[in-house]
Amino acid sequence: MSAPALTPVARPVAAAEVLSIRGLRKTYAERTVLEGVDLGVAAGELVALLGANGSGKSTVLKCVVGLAQADGGTVSIAGADERPGAAMVFQQIHLVRRRSVLDNVCAGALGRLSLRRSWSTSAFPRALREESMACLDRVGLADRAHDRAGRLSGGQQQRVAIARALCQRAPVLLADEPVSALDPEAAEQVMELLRRLADDGIAVAAVLHQPDLARRHADRLVGLQQGRIVFSGSPEEIAEDEVRALYTTGGAR
Amino acid sequence: MTATLATAPEQPVERLPVPPRPRRTAGLAGAAVLVLVLVGVHVWAWIATDFSIGALVEGWSGITDFLGDAIPPDLDWAEVVQPGLKACGVTLAIGLMGTTLSIPTSLVLAVLGARPTSRNPVAYQVARAVMSFFRAVPDIVFALIFVTAVGLGPFAGVLAIICHNTGIMAKLWSESMEEIETGPIDALRIAGASSPQLAAHVVLPSVVPQLVGLLLYRFDVNVRSSLVLGLVGAGGIGFLINQSISLFAFDQMLTYILMVLVLVVVVDVASGYVRRRLAE
Ligand SMILES: Nc1ncnc2c1ncn2[C@@H]1O[C@H](COP(=O)(O)OP(=O)(O)O)[C@@H](O)[C@H]1O
Ligand SMILES: [Mg+2]
Repeated sequence: MSAPALTPVARPVAAAEVLSIRGLRKTYAERTVLEGVDLGVAAGELVALLGANGSGKSTVLKCVVGLAQADGGTVSIAGADERPGAAMVFQQIHLVRRRSVLDNVCAGALGRLSLRRSWSTSAFPRALREESMACLDRVGLADRAHDRAGRLSGGQQQRVAIARALCQRAPVLLADEPVSALDPEAAEQVMELLRRLADDGIAVAAVLHQPDLARRHADRLVGLQQGRIVFSGSPEEIAEDEVRALYTTGGAR
Repeated sequence: MTATLATAPEQPVERLPVPPRPRRTAGLAGAAVLVLVLVGVHVWAWIATDFSIGALVEGWSGITDFLGDAIPPDLDWAEVVQPGLKACGVTLAIGLMGTTLSIPTSLVLAVLGARPTSRNPVAYQVARAVMSFFRAVPDIVFALIFVTAVGLGPFAGVLAIICHNTGIMAKLWSESMEEIETGPIDALRIAGASSPQLAAHVVLPSVVPQLVGLLLYRFDVNVRSSLVLGLVGAGGIGFLINQSISLFAFDQMLTYILMVLVLVVVVDVASGYVRRRLAE
């Protein structure tokens, strides 16, 4: 990954920035949802995106992966010019439930496979299966490779979705409320996993609705209110009141 | 046992008046117009179809004569029952071949004509148009066309069912493909998957039970329509029924109809059983 040549001394974090969002604007039919969002995520960093429902968190992530088209601003991902540079996991997980865990993980690689090597699961190259097993091992589910994805618990399914994202080999991992549908134990496991992946050098941005989880696992808390970033700093730098204000003062529209 | 349970204190029942619903006079007038229009079209349809209870009463004796000729059914083994069984087999075979051979064409049309798997708007519109055409032309019309092309017999029936069933099954299949949740599609689009890859790895695996269920349902319907196709010369038991009527052999006709009844019920029960097992 070649990081953009910025000023490495003054802002060490910005120097290693992998995902750079600058002045992102998005309007849905007359309604401005994002009013110039700047956000950078460095390799090895876990950023927690906080904000009330409707504040625009999902829209930011969707603009990065192309599920929504931004009306202004730029999104750039270092070292990913042609292939998809960001992978994404969702609150609703979105696995193909009737397929095996391993087949679901392999599907993360579809973007770099020709149709001849991917028209059916039996056409997947052996190297891909082995890479997918390694991804499953990283999320601790190698022993469930041949189970149907739909048979796993919610927390396990979310980890399979993360393994599928890993198989995409993207330098950036986005997670939209990855633990909102999980019990506290499973949520903790998923957060620990995201933390480990960040420590391994992936740039991770996760939308969270649990400030305590965010404080414990994230390097940086970013607060979004009505389409604007209102704070950004380490958990020590951001006061609890500041976080609480996201949800109480004009958060909901 | 009840003695150890404390009785819950009785909760007072409260009531509140229901506020009157706002009257919509426009809605009432609209309903009146609708009723008038409906009555009008039914009057027109009554006249257009020469609907006449009198004619039915007058014709009643004809029906009883006819039934008198038909009962008892002719159960002669060599002359009637054995050819009938053979023809039932042919009818079943027409339905089976017609249904099975329309799987590939239906699948291609369904994938091209379903939103999640068809990104190219031209391909989508063309696929929808082809489906509509084959659906709109009744299989009996296809049968008449193919009888003139390949001659009387079951082969014309098979071709007719392939054509009509492709239109219907492609439509039903594309609808089930459009009903799947779009989340997994989004997730893999982000990973760079192309539309054919999405069809192979998300849409088809998610809808296989629905597709098989619809296939069995269509088999059931196609066996019944191959009966009707027999009436226009496409072979099978329908052809024998037609023949016995034109020979005024109503007792033979009744035998064939009873055989058809058994055939239809058996196919219906069997395909229903498999579909229920699939749904579990
Ligand atoms: N496809 C859409 N069409 C119209 N409005 C949308 C669409 N998606 C999101 N919005 C609006 O944009 C705002 C931000 O949505 P979102 O980013 O999903 O919020 P969050 O994820 O922070 O809860 C919401 O008010 C929502 O109603
Ligand atoms: Mg959201």
